[in-house]
Amino acid sequence: MPVNLALGHISNDFLIAALVLYSLSVVAFAGDFAFGRPRRAASTARGQQAQERAAALATVGAASAASDGPVSAGVGRPGSPAVGGAGAGSAAAPPDSMPEVALPPLRAIGQAGRWVQAGIALSAVGVVAHTTAVVTRGLAVHRAPWGNMYEFVTALTCVAAIFFLFVMIRYRAWALGVFVMGAVVVALGLAETLIYTAAGQLVPALQSYWLDIHVTAMTLACGIFFVAAVLGVVYLAKDRYTKRVAAGRAEPGNGIMRRLPSIEQIDRLTYRTVMFGFPVWTFGVIAGAIWADQAWGRYWGWDPVETWAFITWVVYAAFLHARATAGWRGRRAQYIQLLGFASLCFNILVVQVFITGLHSYAGVS
Amino acid sequence: MTDVRAPEADPFESAAEPDERGTPNRDPASGALGFTDWLVWGWRQLTSMRIALVLLFLLALGSVPGSMLPQEGTDPAGVQQYYTSHPALAPLLNHLGLFNVFAAPWFAAIYLLLFASLVGCVVPRTFRLVGSARTLPPRAPRYLTRLPLSAEYPAALDPARAAEVAATVLAGHGFRLRRPADDGEYWLSAEKGYLREVGNLLFHLALLGVLVSVALGGLFGYKADRLLVQGTTFADTQSALDEWYPGRLVTAADLGPFTMTLNQFDASYITSGEQRGQPSSFDAQVSYTTHPGGPALAGNIAVNRPLSVDGAKVYLIGHGYAPIFKVTDARGQVVYNQPTPFISGASGNFLSQGVVKVPDAQPEQLGFTGVFVPTAVEIGGVLQSAFPAADNPAVSLIAYAGNLGENSGVPQSVYQLNTAGMHQLTADPQLLLPGQSLKLPDGQGTLTFTGYVPWVSLTITHDPGQLPALICGIAALGGLLLSFMVRRRRVFVRARASGPAPAGTDGVPSGVHSTVQIGGLTRTDASGGFEAEFAVLAAELRSAHDQAAANRQPEGE
Repeated sequence: MPVNLALGHISNDFLIAALVLYSLSVVAFAGDFAFGRPRRAASTARGQQAQERAAALATVGAASAASDGPVSAGVGRPGSPAVGGAGAGSAAAPPDSMPEVALPPLRAIGQAGRWVQAGIALSAVGVVAHTTAVVTRGLAVHRAPWGNMYEFVTALTCVAAIFFLFVMIRYRAWALGVFVMGAVVVALGLAETLIYTAAGQLVPALQSYWLDIHVTAMTLACGIFFVAAVLGVVYLAKDRYTKRVAAGRAEPGNGIMRRLPSIEQIDRLTYRTVMFGFPVWTFGVIAGAIWADQAWGRYWGWDPVETWAFITWVVYAAFLHARATAGWRGRRAQYIQLLGFASLCFNILVVQVFITGLHSYAGVS
Repeated sequence: MTDVRAPEADPFESAAEPDERGTPNRDPASGALGFTDWLVWGWRQLTSMRIALVLLFLLALGSVPGSMLPQEGTDPAGVQQYYTSHPALAPLLNHLGLFNVFAAPWFAAIYLLLFASLVGCVVPRTFRLVGSARTLPPRAPRYLTRLPLSAEYPAALDPARAAEVAATVLAGHGFRLRRPADDGEYWLSAEKGYLREVGNLLFHLALLGVLVSVALGGLFGYKADRLLVQGTTFADTQSALDEWYPGRLVTAADLGPFTMTLNQFDASYITSGEQRGQPSSFDAQVSYTTHPGGPALAGNIAVNRPLSVDGAKVYLIGHGYAPIFKVTDARGQVVYNQPTPFISGASGNFLSQGVVKVPDAQPEQLGFTGVFVPTAVEIGGVLQSAFPAADNPAVSLIAYAGNLGENSGVPQSVYQLNTAGMHQLTADPQLLLPGQSLKLPDGQGTLTFTGYVPWVSLTITHDPGQLPALICGIAALGGLLLSFMVRRRRVFVRARASGPAPAGTDGVPSGVHSTVQIGGLTRTDASGGFEAEFAVLAAELRSAHDQAAANRQPEGE
């Protein structure tokens, strides 16, 4: 079937629209840093709550050592009467402390401030435009719209934007918007200017539903790992700042750093993101092996791209293990994670383009 | 960097977190140790997480040269080229196994050590898992509010009833319960999420399975190549195959004796636009028998669509053109009349090169070298191909006569003409269109270009490790998902009498009331998320208690 050029143009227009909307959302998220009311992000608040809790527990421990009676130390909402421990069972008011059930997302957004709301709205509309661009491109070329490098980056950033929007709302991580959406804008902008490829058909080796499955999984995983990489950079920046403050080499109270989620929060978020991406990548590799078996007669042949997919897999596996190993947590684990993303980028940008192998379909000339 | 487990923060003391391994605590340097102690120390080192991490990095690092340097397995021509361009460096690299990284002993050492480390970690953990599945969760701690997550609230129920209600709720969520044997206390230990560890073990064992499957394929599998001209048949025997790469334990007798005929091959190409000349589809129609004398079956082979025959798979790897030549010698006898496969080179659009050898020609043997051009155009006096489909086919030949040298004992390629014993008959390449003939000088005979047929190159593979590898891959993925999505957690409930409430006040019935404490903890919930689950669970328990108290109210009055 011939390529539908009109639809291809519509796709390009939507992509430009998405790029503009994303840029505006970055401006809005940045505006929150500059002009937003100081607030304690829910995530930060929770971190602080944990600290208060730890302090309360410490006092309780001391108290229980002194008095023999049963101690009921409430650790619920800060300020609730139970905090600090009510005496023994004979107390007048029965102890009552319940853990807080998280706010529903819409109410959390409602409390996040104008700039954040604008940023979320703009990126949400941007995601719709971006998705429309990817879908119309698919309709224009009658296949899954990730058959060459340009389409792959377009789809990858779309996944990253959707996934990050979900993560941001799920974990109320508003302050990360400017970084992740900023990175999406840069990646998409570079794709648009450097490696734009007009809509076209595929060579027969790429015509297989296993290709669709394989590349779809890889696109998803890359989008997710993209978000993880940005989080990793934010983690390192905040970690460095915290260390410098502790060493007296930086001024405490940096507005941007204060608004970011705590180190532990970013760390957990990164870990969850990689945990989400890793099985998708694994599935992508398996689907790729099935495709390789059908196309080339062997499921694994150490083709350069296969080798680098394997290296990426091993490095991310090392990250997951490092996170559970003493002395490797935190900074080092994040470095490993970024190394994994670097090998992924190397695979896409260098191996597929410059090293001859069976995967040389990038369509970049 | 001593021990991975937090000293007392983790009451999941029975075993370490799945991904955490104990680090060796005995250092041979600290005192005199015997051989066994060294072995134990070494084994502990090997199975420690830090060494596993180092091995993982080595595995990644070791793979890099495999993608940067040409490899024997995938690109033998590239290796030859590397030898030519780097004559000093190449032998050194070859000595280090860098042209065959994935079969090199040092690479095998890395992954075998890694898998040994994995086994050393997985086996004890399997025993621990079985052990923990057979023992009940521990008794509820006395003061649940000291646990990382806790809740506390009053319930208008007596402690026994409160514990009962909590047990019902937690059992409904699939928790494994433990309740006190004595009547003095009312508590409940609930545990859930054993599948996390199962998944983790499954993942690591499945990786071992993948390794075994790959080895299985290397030992018992084979790969073969065969060029097949349209209208011809071949049998899957060693002599009929062009190339044959058997596994280590495979002999020619293991080949499936199927036969296959290429009835027709169609290729179509994009005819316009930027991608003009790019192939758009290939289809080979074949008929085959699974054993000699068996019924002929019809089948299709296309790119990405191999044909399974008799335990082997037949893949379409390449294709080309075989011009048909009819050669009559000086005596007027037809000494050659068959399609001759020409091989397309790098010049594109299937400009293909080939040779014709006519050993039966009299008085002298004849030979021809030439090119086949599917869509012939002349650009600046040079014959070129404008399109890969055979829209305007032509051949251009140079004729030789003399001795082909086929009986010299030196094996010859069918795609090369040894002109050492021959003399050129035609000065310039002679262009022929289908049906045209080339009359050789001095009445040496005639060559007629009667037409062309396509040929395909097939790869035949048999890999008994393929299905096990797939199953193990899927099992690994399943295990991974289980270990990531399931969280091992414990919830404790304790109900204590908070003294009889004054009868009649606020309409609360008289009777013993309780204070309910709930505590929750998870084994290093690295990804977090248990707080949310615990909050919901606590709210649910509380509402169940309130509900039970409300139901009791009529009884009390």
